[in-house]
Amino acid sequence: MTRFLHALLTGLVGAGIVHIAILFLLPVFAEKDAWARLAETGEPYHVVRLDHANPSLGMLTSPDPFFEAVACRFDLSDGALHLVGEGRIPFWSISVYDRRGLNIYSLNDRTATGDALDFVVVTPAQMLTMRKEVPAEFTQSIFVEADLTEGIVVMRAFVPDESWREVVSTYLNGISCTSR
Amino acid sequence: MLKTVLLIFVTLAVAIGGGAGSVWYALEASRGVGSVTIGQWVTFPDFGTPQADPYSRARFAREGGLSLGQAEGIAFTTNRDTAGALLRADCRYQLTGAVPPSRFWTVYATNAAGRLLPPVGRLQPALQSRELVRLGDGPATVEIGPQPVPGNWLPISGSGPIRLVLTVFDTPISGDAGVIDIRLPQVVRRGCDD
Repeated sequence: MTRFLHALLTGLVGAGIVHIAILFLLPVFAEKDAWARLAETGEPYHVVRLDHANPSLGMLTSPDPFFEAVACRFDLSDGALHLVGEGRIPFWSISVYDRRGLNIYSLNDRTATGDALDFVVVTPAQMLTMRKEVPAEFTQSIFVEADLTEGIVVMRAFVPDESWREVVSTYLNGISCTSR
Repeated sequence: MLKTVLLIFVTLAVAIGGGAGSVWYALEASRGVGSVTIGQWVTFPDFGTPQADPYSRARFAREGGLSLGQAEGIAFTTNRDTAGALLRADCRYQLTGAVPPSRFWTVYATNAAGRLLPPVGRLQPALQSRELVRLGDGPATVEIGPQPVPGNWLPISGSGPIRLVLTVFDTPISGDAGVIDIRLPQVVRRGCDD
């Protein structure tokens, strides 16, 4: 009986170790993370519509019918990321995610100067170079310093009613995601 | 000899089964670690951010989504009414009470798996605050149910358990600790079509 209790107790201690091990290894071995799902749909710097109808995107698309979104993968070792959009829509917001899909920075259209979307993501090192001389195309841009190399940028846009769907769709399709 | 083998087997079964099972339970429970409960609504303020606890991180890794940022908004989910009963697609509910200060908010109905319910005719099972009809001074009320009703109707269809998701956009409450002292609308059951 004592031997059985001993075995049970050892098992419980083991269960604790297994619990912690699984918990910390799950994020490491996650195969279907945001990055992997987006890699299936397009190359880096390709603006992917997070379409409600596309099942391969899985949980990347919010079920909210009032929102449309686009995503773009980037690599800051290629240079600064430049996101530009033309036009006016009721509400937009942007989130920057790291390689694991964790949200590290977000902003909405209130942060922007005027209505135009002109958004630059740089590493701290690139920021230092930019400070010395801001390139002409970045004079109106909002700068975000992010300590990462690979990442994902997502832009979400509000569709108040069906009459806006076309306008918002055109706006999102016109977004350019480039590396400088 | 056989007894020792049996004991080792018991130890391994408890360790692996208990360890894996407890993680599964912790991640599947709807009110897990890292969640904040307000009335019947549940939210995960740090979900999908580097500040999240290990349980939220593991849960996030399994779902593989892209969570809303602080400057974007915050989502609250409920699968129960004010009496604590599960929300069902064949019942009628009323959403009443003020929503925290924000630019606008949306509310939509999903099935238990988190997929949007099918549209009823041309209407999606969703409403947003800017299209609501307001009577008097108080906050607008939303009627949720399979049959059309005057006012703000959020159409649902089918049967089985459902969830409501209330997302508040561009709001101060999505910041640090802002989510603790807020009040959210109540989901009151009005009746069921049995």
